Amino acid sequence: MNIQEIYQKNKKNIFFSENKDIQIHREKLINVFITDRFDKKSNESLKNINLKNFFDFKYKYLLPEETSVINNNQDSSYSIVSVNGQCASFKDDKIEITKISDKDYNDFSKNNTIEKNDHFVNLNSLFLNSGFKIIIKKNNNIKIKISNIVTDDDLTIFQKNNFICEEGSSLSLIEEYENKNNSTSNILNVIKLEKKSSLNHFLIQDNSSNHNLVITSHSSCKKESFYNQRVYNFSDGYVRNFHFSELLEINSEADLQGIFFLKDNNTSNNKTFVKHFAEDCKSNQVYKGILKDRAKATYFSNTHVDQVAQKTEGYQLSKGILLSDNASYFSKPELKIYADDVKCSHGSTIGPIDENAIFYLRSRGMSKNAATKILISSFINEELSSIDDEQMSELIQKKLIRYLSKVK
Amino acid sequence: MFLEIKKLSIKIENKNILRNLNLNINEGEVHAIMGPNGSGKSTLANVLAGKEDYEILEGEVTFKNKNLFELNIEERAQEGMFLAFQYPVEIPGVNITPFLHSAINSKRNRFNQKEIDNLSFAKLLKSKASDLGIDIEMLKRSVNTGFSGGEKKRYEILQMSILNPDLAILDETDSGLDIDALKIVTEGVNKLKTKSNSFLIITHYQKLLDYIKPDFVHVMNNGSIVKSGGSEIASEIEKDGFQQFQ
Amino acid sequence: MNTETLDKLDSYSKNKYKYGFVTDIDSDKPKKGLNEETIKFISTKKNEPEWMLDWRLNSFSKWKKIKEPKWSNLNFPKIDYQDIYYYSAPKGFEKKPKDLSEVDPKLIETYNKLGIPLEEQKVLAGVAVDVVFDSVSVATTYKGQLEKLGIIFCSISEAIQKHPELVKKYLGSVIPPGDHSFSALNSAVFTDGSFVYIPENVKCPMELSTYFRINSENTGQFERTLIIADKGSYVSYLEGCTAPKRDENQLHAANVELIALEDAEIKYSTVQNWYPGDEEGKGGIYNFVTKRGLCAGNNSKISWTQVETGSAITWKYPSCILKGDNSIGEFYSVAITNNYQQADTGTKMTHIGKNTKSKIISKGISLGKSQNTYRGEVSFLRKADKARNYTQCDSLLVGNKCGAHTVPYIESKNNSAVIEHEASTSKINEDQLYYCRQRGLSHEEAVSLIVNGFCKQVLQELPMEFAVEAQKLVSISLEGSVG
Repeated sequence: MNIQEIYQKNKKNIFFSENKDIQIHREKLINVFITDRFDKKSNESLKNINLKNFFDFKYKYLLPEETSVINNNQDSSYSIVSVNGQCASFKDDKIEITKISDKDYNDFSKNNTIEKNDHFVNLNSLFLNSGFKIIIKKNNNIKIKISNIVTDDDLTIFQKNNFICEEGSSLSLIEEYENKNNSTSNILNVIKLEKKSSLNHFLIQDNSSNHNLVITSHSSCKKESFYNQRVYNFSDGYVRNFHFSELLEINSEADLQGIFFLKDNNTSNNKTFVKHFAEDCKSNQVYKGILKDRAKATYFSNTHVDQVAQKTEGYQLSKGILLSDNASYFSKPELKIYADDVKCSHGSTIGPIDENAIFYLRSRGMSKNAATKILISSFINEELSSIDDEQMSELIQKKLIRYLSKVK
Repeated sequence: MFLEIKKLSIKIENKNILRNLNLNINEGEVHAIMGPNGSGKSTLANVLAGKEDYEILEGEVTFKNKNLFELNIEERAQEGMFLAFQYPVEIPGVNITPFLHSAINSKRNRFNQKEIDNLSFAKLLKSKASDLGIDIEMLKRSVNTGFSGGEKKRYEILQMSILNPDLAILDETDSGLDIDALKIVTEGVNKLKTKSNSFLIITHYQKLLDYIKPDFVHVMNNGSIVKSGGSEIASEIEKDGFQQFQ
Repeated sequence: MNTETLDKLDSYSKNKYKYGFVTDIDSDKPKKGLNEETIKFISTKKNEPEWMLDWRLNSFSKWKKIKEPKWSNLNFPKIDYQDIYYYSAPKGFEKKPKDLSEVDPKLIETYNKLGIPLEEQKVLAGVAVDVVFDSVSVATTYKGQLEKLGIIFCSISEAIQKHPELVKKYLGSVIPPGDHSFSALNSAVFTDGSFVYIPENVKCPMELSTYFRINSENTGQFERTLIIADKGSYVSYLEGCTAPKRDENQLHAANVELIALEDAEIKYSTVQNWYPGDEEGKGGIYNFVTKRGLCAGNNSKISWTQVETGSAITWKYPSCILKGDNSIGEFYSVAITNNYQQADTGTKMTHIGKNTKSKIISKGISLGKSQNTYRGEVSFLRKADKARNYTQCDSLLVGNKCGAHTVPYIESKNNSAVIEHEASTSKINEDQLYYCRQRGLSHEEAVSLIVNGFCKQVLQELPMEFAVEAQKLVSISLEGSVG
């Protein structure tokens, strides 16, 4: 693996490579890559990952000809088509979109206390070639839909986005990732929620088997803000969903949930991590996965409660259904608690579909296959019924039906 | 005076729950407090028992000539105050028998009495349990764990009969009981009644008072006692509800 | 936590370790330090056959290549392996005493003080005891009665001499010397420990028990225990541990291997009460223990129960390898940490065979400034059809300067296997405290009662005689901070 060489060769093509501060930071990152032995045993976040795919790659990037922002004032919603990680600048009285700046880069690299040694995030910082920043202005209530499109084969997109919800604002953000070409996207979303703001963030992932998606988010919540994230992964290609939240001030809340449907030889790595740094905060981390064929998945969840974070409520749930003998699921639900007045718990189950339930349904005249499908749907029913956007609910249902049609 | 509450005002989490409340109870008397939900009845019970999350704004309470607020929870209990809880908490893994055994001995220790030994205690517990129609099997279980609502209440009365308090406060003991369970519980209370002990019965419904005859009935509303009298008040409430006192 | 409780926490911060006395006895030691000379010294002292010395030296060469495991949630200064005595025996133990009249009376007095009934006439009915003082086994009680049943219960040193075929076959078969650095260390320098063999279809009629005591200064204790339950047999085994109060940290790195053949069952219970250090965190035992059981045969069962209240540092994961079909592994644990104690403990259940079942019940209680971590791994391998696991780990926090952590690793590679895992962390329930105190119990009694109730699922797994002791120990461990 020679990250250094790849970097030197493509430097011209990479954001901020002229900036001194950033150069120093990147040299440090390169050093980390050189010294790390990429030992899967001691670094469990590398489990099941084809290291060669990600750390010994051909760098290629194309600047797109056009990107768009469409503003529909009737229902105060915006549609953004982000091509190869780029987005056109835009400004009105509610939102402001700009290109990601070197200042944003430094802000992140200096203040990243959440997870310092994440190789994929380091890779993103090193090869950064796209990204944008969206500010939702004070007290606005808006809806944004972003379609993330990669135009060509062999592209490697390294994208960093900032989402800032100013005080009292409320954003519903739907992001779609549906790419059919042989390419890799490594995306880092840095999300800041100011006082009394809220963000409902939906990520719909449905890539073909030759597209790799690595998506990481770092969100931080100020007083009385609420970050609510839902991940729906229907991809045939590799997806890594790593999502971190920091609850910095009183009465804030983070809800990180996801469901994934894996088949064939596909792999998915998932992680959620909530750090409680203030009193009276709540967090939820719930992931459910269905795995068939030779699919593999990991899910790490972690609730960290700082000494000052009294009256914390933290909940974790991890559920996996294995539909085949060759599928495997690894989960590690962690609690790290340094405050005493807390209510934290986690539950985790892995197993087949309940045979008694199958038997019951079959005794009512249903075929085994139909029974299995019904039980899979019911397994994630709660997640699906909680979607209040009708259009999106329909979309997810369609994708679910497509997955179920492959269940024998 | 046995129990004297003078001008008591209490605040919990910045809300005034009791306002200028006065109540006197003498030895051998049975008092009932009735009132609508949220009138402060249960708060009064918990303040008397010593639950710690309230703030005393004003007033004083003496119990057997002692300043009640100078005693902590267990000292009040050892002095002879018993609270039958509205919702008895489950304590998994803590067996009923040793639990009650420690309780009775902590009271005896306070008054330098000899501790009651295992065997005599087991006998006492068995006889009291059978008086109340409680299955011996139940005594092998953990405190309140997995009990039905009725079982919990009956078990509260069993504890009361073992600890033999001077002042028993029954906090909505009738809630959640069917008529048969109510009879068993109230019979238990009536058996315990003597000339030297007193009862403070807190209830929302008048039904309980058909079985336990109170000497005095008080109506509580908005944190204070708005009317006191004999058992005729209970019938008035039965007929016209609490509204007349608001 | 209310202010009253906090005040109590402060006022009761005296340590009450009652086993902290030192027995003044001459002991026989080699030079400090870990090298081939030391190993040869130990081997010679024990008059070992050559194969045993070779095995030790081989383990030592492995140890030199392996780094200490780093993944635990523990903080401690680097251990200086050259500043430790690796062997210490009360003088006059070159030859093992034939009966108790040959044992130094001071030693017997020590064990009486510890409440260990060494003299046979005082032995509690039904408990055979092997006692390890620093590095050597002092006496084994009830030997005659066990021999009649064909049960071998002796020190491992004696087994090496008298039953080399069994030792050769099984020693290191469950924990290979090269497994990790502490197993390599123990394999190189182990000094004594117990050996148990239960013949086919024999149900051992009494609890077998070993009592470990570290007495000498700067001495490491490295005992090795090997228990083999042959087909259809049953044994229940208990170990207890104490050490004197000393300002320096002492190292204890034991290895325990269990082998259950077809239809056999081994129940292994530990009450660990090594000196935990004082309230400032000074001194105490570093307890790095490897315990592993192999359910080798079909329908076999291994059950671990532990009550961990002592040691400055506990690093311990009694594990089960469920190889035989229908085999069962169980782990019941109570770990209490107080003052500056650190515990990182849990288990590993590896399901290999079909229909294998495991159950994990872990209760952690953190007080003072301590850190208490449950770390457990449950894995179902490809062929573990219909395997089942149930895990429940609960943590209780008393005071706001301690930490409670739960780190489970859960993996399934079989789609007919079911893993269920539940965990919770909370402080002591204020409503329960209120209820108990309303019945007249003092705050301290109430805490002790509730914590004992919290641990009950585990304590009830201990053999009768020790369950009562363990309950007392739980209450004593809480005393340091709640009264």
